[in-house]
Parts: sequence; C-alpha cells; structure tokens
Amino acid sequence: MATFVFGYYAALIIASVILAYVDYKKWFLMVFSLLLVSFVAGIVGGAGALEVITIFVAVLATAAAVSYAFKFFLVLIAKPNLAKELKTAPLTAAFGMFVIFTYAVAGIFAPLIAPHGQAEVISGAFAPPDANMLLGADQLGRDIFSRIIYGARNTVGLALIATLGAFFLGALAGLLAAVKGGWFDQFMGRVADVIMSIPSLIFALLMLSILGTSTWVIVVVVAVIYSPRVFRLTRAVAGNIVVMDYIEAAKLRGEGDWYLIRREILPNSTAPLIAEFGLEFCFVFLLIAGLSFLGLGLQPPTADWGSMVRENATLISFGDITPLIPAAAIALLTVSVNFVVDWMLFRSSGLKEQ
Amino acid sequence: MNDLLLLVLKRLGFGLLTLLVVSILIFFAVELLPGDVAEAVLGQGATPETVQAMRDQLGLDRPAVVRYLEWLGGAVTGDFGVSAVSGEPVINAIGDRFVNTLFLAAYAAVIAVPFAILLGIVVALLRNSVFDRVANVLTLTSISSPEFFLGYILILYLSVKLPLFPAIASLSSDMSLGELLHRTFLPALTLVLVVTAHMMRMTRAAIINLLASPYIEMARLKGVPPWKVIVRHALPNAWAPIINVVALNLAYLITGVVLVEVVFVYPGIGQALVDAVSKRDFPVVQASSLIFAATFILLNLAADVGAIITNPRLRHPK
Repeated sequence: MATFVFGYYAALIIASVILAYVDYKKWFLMVFSLLLVSFVAGIVGGAGALEVITIFVAVLATAAAVSYAFKFFLVLIAKPNLAKELKTAPLTAAFGMFVIFTYAVAGIFAPLIAPHGQAEVISGAFAPPDANMLLGADQLGRDIFSRIIYGARNTVGLALIATLGAFFLGALAGLLAAVKGGWFDQFMGRVADVIMSIPSLIFALLMLSILGTSTWVIVVVVAVIYSPRVFRLTRAVAGNIVVMDYIEAAKLRGEGDWYLIRREILPNSTAPLIAEFGLEFCFVFLLIAGLSFLGLGLQPPTADWGSMVRENATLISFGDITPLIPAAAIALLTVSVNFVVDWMLFRSSGLKEQ
Repeated sequence: MNDLLLLVLKRLGFGLLTLLVVSILIFFAVELLPGDVAEAVLGQGATPETVQAMRDQLGLDRPAVVRYLEWLGGAVTGDFGVSAVSGEPVINAIGDRFVNTLFLAAYAAVIAVPFAILLGIVVALLRNSVFDRVANVLTLTSISSPEFFLGYILILYLSVKLPLFPAIASLSSDMSLGELLHRTFLPALTLVLVVTAHMMRMTRAAIINLLASPYIEMARLKGVPPWKVIVRHALPNAWAPIINVVALNLAYLITGVVLVEVVFVYPGIGQALVDAVSKRDFPVVQASSLIFAATFILLNLAADVGAIITNPRLRHPK
C-alpha cells in the first residue's frame, strides 16, 4: 500500500514538473490542482480515497483516448466536407458518437453477442457471476449480461420507433399548419397546448392504464405525448420559410401544398430538425425507461432496461451494483446523445456565445 | 396597474379554460375502455350480478355527460367519488398523500432553488473556463440520468455502504420535524440533484443572454467594476428569466416526484397513482391525474404571471 501512495504522489509531481517545464499551462493547472486535491483527500480518506481518484482519472483518460481515436477514424472515413466539420468537434461529441455506435452494434447484433437467450433460465435465482455468466443471474436465473445486450435492442429500438412516430406526427402537423395557416393552424396550436399542459409521465400512466401495455399502444401514446414539441419547432421554423419569395414564386407556378413541403420547406429546415430529433429521443427514452421501471413498458420476458432495474433492486440493499448497470446504460446513452446534440446546435450557430 | 390586473386575469382565465379541457380529456379517456369501468376492474371472471352491483355503486348506467358534470362538481369541492377497488372515498386515499408529496417537493425546492441560482450565476460569469466545462458535463449527466438511477445510487452509497440515512422513507404522524427531515433526506436529495441541474443550465443561459446585450457592454466600456455590472445593471433585468426558471422547474418536480416516490416507497400521491394504475382503480387514477395536471398548470401560470409582472415590455404587447 505504501508503494502505491508513494508512486501516486511521485507520478503526479513528476507530471506537473514536466508540464511546467514544457509550458503547457492549462494541463499543468489541471494536474497540479489534482495534486492539491489528492493531498486533502489522502489525509481525510487515506489510501482508499487515492485509489478512487486513480480509478476515476484512469476511466476519464481511457474515455478521452477512445474518443480521440474514434474521431480520427471518423475523419479518415468521412467525405472531405464532413471531415472538416468533424475535425473541429469537441472530444465530448466524439465520445457521444462512439457510444451511440457501440449501442447500435450491440442492438443490431444482439443475438450474436449475447451468450444466452433473453428469456433462457440457466441457473438458480441471483446466482453469483462465474465464467459462464459475466454478471451473474437475475431473480429468475437468467443471464444478466445477455439481457443487458438484448435490452439495447428492445428498449432503444422502442424509444427510436416512438421518437420517429412523434416526429412524423409533429412535423407533418407543423408543416401543414405553416402552409395552410388560418383555422387549421389555430386549432393545431390549441391541441398542442392542451397536450403539453398535462405532465408527460402522468398522461402516459393514465392512457396506458386504460389502453393496456401492448407495444404498439406504448409507441402511439408516447408519440402523441411528445409530438407537440416537434410541432411547435417545425411550425416556428417553417413559419419563417413560408414568407420567403421563393415560396411565393412556387405558389404562383401553381405548385401544391405537398410539393411546397417536400421540395421547398423541408430541405431548408433540416438542421434544427435533426438537432431536435436528438433531444426528442432523450425525452422519449427517459419516459419509456420510467414507464418500464413502473412496470408499464415492454412486458416480460422481453429484456428491458427499466424493468430490469426494478426486478433486481433488492440486490442493492446488499451493496451489489449489478442492478444499476441497466440504469447506467440508459444514462450513458442519453448523455451521449446530448453531447452530440450540443455540438450540432453549436455548429448550426444559434447557441454560439460571445 | 389596472392594465396589469386585466392581463393577469386574462391569463388566469386562460389557465382555467385549459384545466377544464384537461379535465374533460381525463374523464372521457376512461370511456375509451372496451366495455366499461366495472368490467375492466372486475375482470373476466366476474358474474353479471357483481358487475351490475358495481355499475350501480359507481352510477355507470347514466349518460357520460351527466357523470362528468357530477364528477367535476365534486372535484371542485374535494369530493372525487369512491374508489372502484376498496369502495372508500377517493379523497381518503389521496388527501394525506398529497400533503406528503407537497412536503417532499417543498423540501427539495428550498434546497435546490437558492443553490441552483447561485451556481448558475457563478457558472455564467466563469463561462468557457474549465470550471464551466466541468459543470456543463456534470449537469448534463444529471439531467440525462433517469430519476431512479440517481435514487438507487444514493441508496447504495449513503444508506447501504455508509448507513447515514434510511433507504425507505416511512412516515408517521408523531415524528418530530428533525426526524422527518432526516427520513426524507434521500428522496429530497434525488429531486434536488435533477432539478438543480435543470435550473443551473437555464439560469446560466438567461444570464449569458443578458450579458451579451449592448447596455452591459456599454457599462463595461465606461469602466464600471465587474461586480457592479452584475448587481446594478444585470440583476434587475435577470429577475424575470430567473422567476420563470424557478416556476418551470417546480412544475418539473411534479413529474419527477412520481418515480422518486416509488424508489423510496414514500407515501405520496405519485405512489398512489402508480398503485391505482396497476390495480386499474380508475377513480383514483383520474383524481390523481387531475391533481397533478392542476398543479402543473398552476405553476406554468405562475411562470407566465411572474414574467408579466417583472417585464414591463410584456404588459404592452404590440
């Protein structure tokens, strides 16, 4: 233990001296403040606290390194225009893209990656981890690791379909409202107001208690609840476009509403809509996770992250973190999407602060 | 001043109208059930006699419009009818629980509001520094985590590994305030973490927006010291967005409270709603949904009215 503490401080001091010598001010400040923090933490918490800090820094450094490498990879394979944009992306955005990519792979190839089926009972309840089961078994003796992998397919897939539904409904209504105007516009606006004035989780609980929890009911209910956000944004963006001269010209040519929407308005409003898609996905994903945590999501034996947390929650009172892994998976994906959206919003100006 | 009153009244009227439409939605959503409430609650094994008995008890054989008007009339005076499962008045089941929920939300708000606004201002002043970046990543993480994730992490570290606070928030009426605050600390802290992150980000955005305006630049250029720029020039105009942020986040608390109550088995109205949903006890579901929606609308209304009062420009719409 003594060697660890000694090595820990020695490494930090040597690193800060080197950084001071080569005059990397920002990095020096970071390493040196870490050293000061470690002094306090070491005195208060002993070697244990230093170990926690080491693990934390190591995880952070690995994440940064992976994102850096992934960014380089993306720049290499992207087309020249896109590559230029990607080069300026912050590490957080690269990290987000990497996580999204990983989840996509896990979801698409779930049956190949997972060692066992999602509903397959292979051992006793709550069996501890072994060579066959990476994370142990759940309350019915199913492999938790396999269920987490399948969850990437089920939970994320469900959220994706619901988001697409919300987007389709909201964007269509918004575009039609902008093009048609008049009473249709007013009416859709009021409908959106009413839907948004009920808390989303409460509304979802009410509707699902009445209509039951089959997959398609969940998709439709969640899509309807979150479509007003998309509606408002699309209406606002499209509202600025319909007053342009080229729309007037297209109207004078005798083009119909559908042509206007498809060929004139949509191509000019993609940037804000794509960013909104990311944000919307986060909201929908968290709502679906909350619902399935409450037992109103995908029904068993389908593996689903929210309900997995609930089913294995008793393990937490024994100090076991396994039940938190699905919850962490939810949080990680949401954070990653947010990182990417942040970068896209920043890029399409709008949020460029001084 | 008269203008202001009229404007606030108009906004209030609009809020009431929204609430009316929402109540119609909540009541008639149940009519979408295949069959009716009695059949849905009792299930397929019920004999026609018991179904008929429940229909009589809930008065289901009268037209829906008549029942809606009675329900609404009762709801205004706090009478939400009787539970379909236990047969007791709904208000007995959720009245006390609503008070508990308000207590939890208030507890969280009292900690979160000053903390978040202060941090938000600090982060806005230090924008683009390392501190700001770290705060950005941390708040984003907190917002992106489901409430139950944060709740269980707190249970794991503050209740299981270090037994400081109880993991289950059981309440009784003869507890002292200190005991009560100690028992409900973890659920309150979970809410604080989520709401603080939201509020900080919104405060930061509002302040940065303000600091970019030309009159602040002017004040800086004529040599006003930085603290005076904030206190004398920026803050008076910042109240409007900050009040807005606070009201919107309190409204957000209302939804977050449901999941947190379930995690900590807190005897609140959110837990009652979830129980009623699983038992298909529709009168209780309707009543709690209406209470949640009314609180939500009220807080959004407060945000609007606060904005109107503090921002003279909104009083004279073009």
